Amino acid sequence: MEDIIVKTKLGEYLVKAGLLYTETDEWLRKEGETLFIGVTDYAQKKLKYIVNVELPETGSEVKKGETLATLESVKSVADVYSPVDCEVLVTNEELLDSPDLVNKDPYGKGWIAKVRIKGGFKEGDYLTPQAYADKIREKET
Amino acid sequence: MVIKTAKEVPLIDLQRQFGGNLGEFGGWLTSMDYGNPMEEHLATRTSVSVFDVSHMGRYVIRGKKLYEFFQRVGSKDLRKFREGFMSGPILLLNDNGGIKDDVMLYYLRDGEWLAVVNAPNVVSDREWLESLRDRFGFSSDDVTINDVTATTTLIAIQGPKALDVLEELGAPSDIKDLRILQFIPKAEVLGEEATLVSRSGWTGEEVRSYGFEVWTSVEHGARIFKKAIEAGAKPAGLIARDSLRLEVGYLLVGEDMDESTNPIEARYWLPLTLGKTDCVGCDKVMEAYEKGVNKVRVGFKLKKGDRTIPRHRNKIFAGGTEVGYVTSGTYSPILKRSVGMGYVKSTHAYIGFKLQIEIRNKLHEAKILDFPMI
Repeated sequence: MEDIIVKTKLGEYLVKAGLLYTETDEWLRKEGETLFIGVTDYAQKKLKYIVNVELPETGSEVKKGETLATLESVKSVADVYSPVDCEVLVTNEELLDSPDLVNKDPYGKGWIAKVRIKGGFKEGDYLTPQAYADKIREKET
Repeated sequence: MVIKTAKEVPLIDLQRQFGGNLGEFGGWLTSMDYGNPMEEHLATRTSVSVFDVSHMGRYVIRGKKLYEFFQRVGSKDLRKFREGFMSGPILLLNDNGGIKDDVMLYYLRDGEWLAVVNAPNVVSDREWLESLRDRFGFSSDDVTINDVTATTTLIAIQGPKALDVLEELGAPSDIKDLRILQFIPKAEVLGEEATLVSRSGWTGEEVRSYGFEVWTSVEHGARIFKKAIEAGAKPAGLIARDSLRLEVGYLLVGEDMDESTNPIEARYWLPLTLGKTDCVGCDKVMEAYEKGVNKVRVGFKLKKGDRTIPRHRNKIFAGGTEVGYVTSGTYSPILKRSVGMGYVKSTHAYIGFKLQIEIRNKLHEAKILDFPMI
């Protein structure tokens, strides 16, 4: 599988292979019973330059669809939603000093949190890279 | 996010070539940033940047009675306005003294002035001016307004090294002698005549910065934008433009002032000639001046390191009492914290006064500052 670059009249967006995606522009990578969560290149480009990140407390429990973190750009504020019922194991505290890592490297150094899955996880609940890329195209045409 | 169908600024493809991150402002699709608006901001303060500000509305205004007309419809006395100069901001007020827009006039020559108006108001300002022309008995021979926004560009080269870039572009050497708000018509840049080159720019030129703007054709503007970058100017977008103007306390129409705002409350002194009584809304300005006002615009900064952005309409408290509201906010890379402006009760509007700003249900400590905030 190769990374997908979605080109629309408004911009170019990287959709990385090997990840799952949500309708609300989060990406997730499953490692055993844990998930790494971040936001997509499309999300960071829509938000613009991020100046502030609010992270959850480690150890806190977050339900699927609830706010896991908040990203704030000069233009707007966006919540990052938890894709599963989970317990927060680690957050990316580097973002507190360098929130723009989310812009610079959304799939890498700009990750948001590592969580333990509580309850179930069904891969089919999420979008494949191809399905997510199609969604972006749909939004921007 | 929902993107409305906005018109594209003429240089949009060029902006994208340089990494322009697009967004909508005032009905236009243009670049919000070119990757890092904080670096763009700092380049403007310490070096040089180039902005395509072609989203701003531009008019050519011709006629026999331009002076008489604008004296009647604008907040500022134009008796000293003369050829080769910009007017400084002038307010178009409604009959209640509320602010419709702040516009800049350029005295190109007798019978021909230019104007720059705010992007969201490009249609409404013209309609308003034309209605006033009829109301006050002027004819189209006296005043005719042509909207040239779509067929021209405005390129702002801003920062302490702006002159170096303009020189590299072959601009006339006498631009270095321009005073603030003075311009050279038909100035040659890159071997081609521009409508004008002015010493101006809305990044804080009176207090903290230095820069020039070139008003010219679309093709010429494109060449200038590109060559300015090659000559060392950092391309900069509207996010940096907003944080630059906020630091120095410039007001943005629609955010910090609107038709319900009296200029006295806004403390918008630059466009006011107090005591001028013959213009639309001026009597209401004088009334507010004499009676005093209940709320006043102030600038404020959050605590060092607090990056939470105060948003339009966030509430402002003093202890347990609500005393005002935010009109705009941003992150200042110079002060390394968020800053903003808003209106507070005039009983609480003191420099140094501590406030609390409610942002997403949390109170953030803030302190009132005088403008410019840097």
